[in-house]
Amino acid sequence: MSTETEHGVALPTPNVVAPPTSELHRIGQMSQFTGLYSRELLRTFRNPWVLVITVVQPFMWLAFFGSSFANVPLAELEKLLHITISSYTQFLLPGVLSTSMLSVGMFGAMSTIQDKRFGYMKRILLTPTSKSTVFLAKALGSATRGLVQIPVMVVAALAFGVQLDGSLLMWAGFVLALIFLALGFSSLFLAVTASSTDWQTPGVISNFIMMPLMFASGALFPTANFPAWMATIANWNPVTYTALLGRGVVVSGTFDWLYLGYVALFAGLLVLAGTLVGRKYMKVE
Amino acid sequence: MSEDAIVANGITKAYGSMTAVDHVSFRVPSGGIFGLLGPNGAGKTTIIKVLTGLSDLTGGDARVAGFDVRKYPMEVKQRIGWVAAEVILDDDFSGWENLWLQAKFQRVAEWKDRAKQLLDYFALSAFKDNKVGTYSTGMRKKLEIALALLHEPQIIFMDEPTIGLDPGTRRMLWELITGVNREYGITIFLTSHYIEEADALCSQVAILDQGKIAAMGSPNDLKARVQGDYIELETGEPVNETRLLAIPGVREVRVQGRTWILKVDRSEEFLPSLFDHVKPDLIRKINVEKPSLESVFMQLTGKRIDQAGAEVQDYRKFYANVRRARG
Repeated sequence: MSTETEHGVALPTPNVVAPPTSELHRIGQMSQFTGLYSRELLRTFRNPWVLVITVVQPFMWLAFFGSSFANVPLAELEKLLHITISSYTQFLLPGVLSTSMLSVGMFGAMSTIQDKRFGYMKRILLTPTSKSTVFLAKALGSATRGLVQIPVMVVAALAFGVQLDGSLLMWAGFVLALIFLALGFSSLFLAVTASSTDWQTPGVISNFIMMPLMFASGALFPTANFPAWMATIANWNPVTYTALLGRGVVVSGTFDWLYLGYVALFAGLLVLAGTLVGRKYMKVE
Repeated sequence: MSEDAIVANGITKAYGSMTAVDHVSFRVPSGGIFGLLGPNGAGKTTIIKVLTGLSDLTGGDARVAGFDVRKYPMEVKQRIGWVAAEVILDDDFSGWENLWLQAKFQRVAEWKDRAKQLLDYFALSAFKDNKVGTYSTGMRKKLEIALALLHEPQIIFMDEPTIGLDPGTRRMLWELITGVNREYGITIFLTSHYIEEADALCSQVAILDQGKIAAMGSPNDLKARVQGDYIELETGEPVNETRLLAIPGVREVRVQGRTWILKVDRSEEFLPSLFDHVKPDLIRKINVEKPSLESVFMQLTGKRIDQAGAEVQDYRKFYANVRRARG
């Protein structure tokens, strides 16, 4: 049954008698999550600048930072780094991959604040979508964005002539650790900015956590050279363990499950805590 | 379904010490268009927020589409559609993608046929793959209504549906809103501070002022409550109040700024005698107001709707802010 209107177009079947909302076939809550998650990814990767930065940044790290010790004889470098390596870039690669997961939470936090300011958060929350679902989709969305850097950086490293050790399975374990790290820090960013609508908040937080967690970790230099206070931070820092796990794989083809467990625990706790905070404190506008 | 679409029972919303909505009660019968008319800052948007479960109630309770808003907000949200005052869409996505996302959020499995029909109905089919950022305001508004209709809701909430639109687009939207109500049988709950809008669209109107309902009824019922016409008079020099009261047929005299507001039995009889009492060259402006929802509001509150707002909103500024937020 359809009706002609002034517009001369047939209307979808009207439900004048009883709107059949209750009978309308509803699919599971997963649909809300996949909708939100796809939206995050599409929005990110349709922006050409995002792709450019994703590709360029790892190159810059390896090119500039990785070349810092180019003129240091390998034997001296190995003494300094307490490890047998083929080049500093080989030492650096797992570390840079780990530290780059620190900032991915910023994407999720920015996109959440944008949704609040646009009002799109109202559009989402005026459907039967829970704040926890929104939180998880944002966290996973920004973590995914960070993961794109992994293949790019590995290819970059190969292009720089870095030797890579480790089996495919070990690499999969390392990537899993990076996923955990990204999820944990995304949740941290999202939880801290849950009640914020200010564009500047994620940047402020990023500045606040980036430096300490990047340098007080074993990602760029070995912790053995640190003063005691910095070594203490590094010993708690999940970036340290992700970097150590990766270094084991990349440099010597070894895999330490304990490191993976630590990072998994970190991610689990932060995702859980973040979801609870988000459910309670996430502002609509 | 003979049950009321919305039952609000003493709903109250306070933000700190400020009470935005103060013990408001009303019923919205199924199938009609119910309008909440009032100045800016009267609490209209807040009422929509608490009825849709977006904001918690401070006091009172409400049933929407048969469900208690406090206890079953998700059930309510499944059965309502919502059209924002400021047009909220994802500009980076196409019209079709916006529909797809809405279907995902509403967990509707088979949405494509209905989405196509809605796009046809709103004459947007040709633009469905264009980014919404390229749409005109009228098209955006239509897409927003299509989104609200996608999951076959029982009630659609429209917050200031034609705010800041040009007269042509406003008329087109009025036509669409009555069309949606009539042909889909969907109850519409709208807020407005435009008198003509409430008068043209609504079967029931509640007049809201400072968080309280001042009057409720059909537009005709409400207008019947006003006896006599209102005259607004602006004079070049101060005029004595007693001189105005002395004119035959004048019932009440009030002053609002430099303007006198006179309530008279019949403006046709009053106007000739006005010139006998006040020299015509003193008069700067005369405005005759026949019984309307505006005069109902004036009678109830002593103010005009557009002057009663807590702050007068500048729409260019409003949209500029919206754009800034997006940029």
